[in-house]
Amino acid sequence: MEYLSSNKIAVIDLGSSEIAEEELDEGLVRENIGGAGINRYLYHKYESDDPLVIGSGLLTGTLVAGSALAVMTAKSPRTGSLCHAPITLTAGMELKFSGFDYLVIKGVSSKPVFLWLHDGIADIQDAGDLWGKDTWEATESVRKAVGDDLVQVLAIGPAGERGSGLAQVGNNYWASGDTWGFGKLLGRKKLKLIAVRGMGLLEIADPEGFIAQSQELLTEIKGGGWAGKAGIGDILAALGEEDGPSWLAPLIHRHKACFNTPYAANTFVFLDEDPKRMTEPETPEPGMLLTRFSDLLGFKQCGLSALESGRILKECARMGLDGTAVSSLCLKAGLKDLEGIRNFLPGADGPVDGQAAGPFSSFAPGKPLFADFGLAPDGSQDAAWWARRQAVAYLFGIHPLFILMAPELTEEKLLELANLGTGLEVTAETLDQAISEVVRG
Amino acid sequence: MGIKIDPLKCTACMACEMACGYHRDDAFALLSSCIVTYRTKEKKDYFGVVLKEGEYLVIARPEGLEVKKIGVVEEGSKADASAKPMLLREPCDLCSDQADGPLCLRFCPVNAIYQE
Repeated sequence: MEYLSSNKIAVIDLGSSEIAEEELDEGLVRENIGGAGINRYLYHKYESDDPLVIGSGLLTGTLVAGSALAVMTAKSPRTGSLCHAPITLTAGMELKFSGFDYLVIKGVSSKPVFLWLHDGIADIQDAGDLWGKDTWEATESVRKAVGDDLVQVLAIGPAGERGSGLAQVGNNYWASGDTWGFGKLLGRKKLKLIAVRGMGLLEIADPEGFIAQSQELLTEIKGGGWAGKAGIGDILAALGEEDGPSWLAPLIHRHKACFNTPYAANTFVFLDEDPKRMTEPETPEPGMLLTRFSDLLGFKQCGLSALESGRILKECARMGLDGTAVSSLCLKAGLKDLEGIRNFLPGADGPVDGQAAGPFSSFAPGKPLFADFGLAPDGSQDAAWWARRQAVAYLFGIHPLFILMAPELTEEKLLELANLGTGLEVTAETLDQAISEVVRG
Repeated sequence: MGIKIDPLKCTACMACEMACGYHRDDAFALLSSCIVTYRTKEKKDYFGVVLKEGEYLVIARPEGLEVKKIGVVEEGSKADASAKPMLLREPCDLCSDQADGPLCLRFCPVNAIYQE
């Protein structure tokens, strides 16, 4: 695969410590597009080894608006089904430029290890010193060890190490869209973290055409309903939690976007400094980046204040716990105070009600955000529409929230961009087939 | 007619950096960009944009702009390691080969980069 690709799949066997490399065959891309489509193919190819597959979308890391997404695919410890979790912020982009398009991580290590991916090199390294650390400590340690603060870290905390079904794979210090308990899977594999740095280069089949189309698309997108809105609070309001913005407002420092994503979907709240402070904070850890609307909503519904919710979510992130799942269990158990919830965290586990049935993470809410997609007012089309939009996002590498905000990101335009970028001539029929297969799970 | 940056509008999406990388390499890459999103102080939410203009670095911090001559460390100040990668890069040429002007400006989704 010559364009928009590193042309490399790493098959990493944690049991034997061997790493094999394969080329990314163009035929595989022609049939499965990328992201969740190829992850799914690789998962089934290595299914007997209980693999975790990580891959970027066909357009991830490019100048197509929203191209932030990479995808983690495995059998969910919670549902027992093949599921996909989004990797956002800048980790998806870094993976795309790391020299690997896809990683198949199979088998179980006999001792704690971590993976270090950079410049087309994949290493399995000893994680004896990292095991037992929370995600913040582990992220700090591995960045210090490799001497680069921009290394992106997908890590488990104590929750994953002890095998909790609520364990998630975090994204640096923050919560991720892993709603499937993949943290438990990493714990079982004795894989503490995956560290990735992307300093590579991706060739484009038709550079001028690709850039012109990307810019034209962005120009259309800029006039959308998302413009002028930002962060978790506005998402809460769009979902009917109308007091969400005012509830959160006193803590908001700034909003932050994922790679090349026009809507800043993440909100940094200061818990221990004045949020109005714009000079560099004095305290090393003044707050928390909120990355999931449902985490915050969950603890709001438990009755916590915004400040208390931020503190609990910081602890969840450090322990590598799925905040939404934890809040659901707390609500069910009638835990409504900070200390009660805090005491629940170290041993948190149990079945989660309302787990999404399909293969896509509930990281993205099940309806349009700030936009009109022409759906029936009674909501009868929402579920099928949402699954198809998520499939498109997970194939091309588009942010799964932003694809719910931008009707301009049509399947036709994304396919046209993919063909300009890769030089392949993928047809609309092939895309439709790939979408159907990914939706099916 | 240099490039201006509003650091408080910036959301650290890095579109400017990738657009500049494309301008330099005719491919997607970040290593040649003369405009860089400063993002190493992640836990502090302290981010901004650094632009290399001629012999100067324009540092757009949240609290305001600062212009520093490259290679000159002011007395009492600490050399910033984050500036190192900029030293070998070409300075901003306003995308002189582009009829429609600088790509970083055109790809910024929130209009944090502009020309006066």
